[in-house]
Amino acid sequence: MNHNRQSNDGKHDDDSALSDFLASLMDYTPTIPDELVEHYLAKSGFQCPDVRLIRLVAVATQKFVAEVANDALQHCKARQAAVVKDKREKQQKDKRLILTMDDLSKSLREYGVNVKQQEYFADSPSTGIDPATRDE
Amino acid sequence: MRKSRSKRKSNIHLQQPTINPRDFQFMITKVAVSQICKSVGFRRSRVSALETLTLVATKYLETLVKSAASFSNAASRTQSNILDLTNALHDMSLQVGFMGASTLYDHNNNCLLKSSVLESLSDFVSSTNEIPFAKPIERAKERESEEVNAVPGSFQERGGHIPEWLPRFPDVGGTNENCDKRVNGEQLWENSSSVLGCQIDGFEEKRCGSNNVGKLPKGRSRIKFRVNNGGGTRVGLNGISCNNVFGQSKDEEEAEPVAVCEKSVKSEEKQILVYKRRKKLC
Repeated sequence: MNHNRQSNDGKHDDDSALSDFLASLMDYTPTIPDELVEHYLAKSGFQCPDVRLIRLVAVATQKFVAEVANDALQHCKARQAAVVKDKREKQQKDKRLILTMDDLSKSLREYGVNVKQQEYFADSPSTGIDPATRDE
Repeated sequence: MRKSRSKRKSNIHLQQPTINPRDFQFMITKVAVSQICKSVGFRRSRVSALETLTLVATKYLETLVKSAASFSNAASRTQSNILDLTNALHDMSLQVGFMGASTLYDHNNNCLLKSSVLESLSDFVSSTNEIPFAKPIERAKERESEEVNAVPGSFQERGGHIPEWLPRFPDVGGTNENCDKRVNGEQLWENSSSVLGCQIDGFEEKRCGSNNVGKLPKGRSRIKFRVNNGGGTRVGLNGISCNNVFGQSKDEEEAEPVAVCEKSVKSEEKQILVYKRRKKLC
């Protein structure tokens, strides 16, 4: 496996683009704090004094999480669109956007993570139902 | 009244949160992940979903870093560089797929730095607004390293059996060079520069009380020694053990038991006072 082999063709353009990107990472503060990433780096045996690589790891993780969350949001919106319109008008728009396990498991499945919503056991069939709609 | 007070106290003890370091990392990651979710557009979240996403994010980070570290180890390096990280990123994003994944190990087109994964990351950085972490995190390592720098070379040389608050040993490093001189120059050992130099150095250190001497690497916590004086009373002395004092000089032996007796008497008196107070309270 020749992982580290580099070709000289067009190396300068890539180098300049890459160095620009890495230099921009010096000023960029990722949402995942450096301290946390450094902790996990040290825990996993990743030694690197360069701050830019730490930031790169943080940015990669942030991008992953953002993509997963964005997919879940799309699933959520698609599910909401299928609901009957009368119900949708009752609820406000902001409140509808809730991250749930259903959407999350759907979006994570695309990234190779199989998540299943936890089974919910109830002592009686009417436990989980909203009290207003419960028939008594 | 007393019982109720004690009950309250016990309740307070029960309520004190026991912070697990793993929980601490998890909570920080959770805050960061929830910030990302909010930036994407979610308004609310189920707790289970957020915790699952946090766990997955942690696993992603760990897997990415471990894979990069294993790449660098395979290239017989201990420090990882961007090529290892790029390889790890490729491995992680193979599931989703990316541009140029089919020609990743092609001999004609094998410049890792040209990869589309890095490009997409740079696009992400340029397109996404910066969302700094909500709260500042105190770094424990920095404080330790500052203290270590104040007293150089103290932690590495000392053994584990020596308490950290004790001052470090005086420097012996300068004597080796002087030893060579002595062997070559055939001087008397007493007159040799090594002995004189050492003495002078030692005295200077003692007299000047230089900055390093006064500073201890760690604040000494309070220490108590228990000495059995026949009667079984406890004498608490701050940092001085009585046995060592007895062993040093014979002249003071006569005076000291009296002093110790006085101390024991005093301590007994104190105890009696305490008993009286307790009785009054009762």
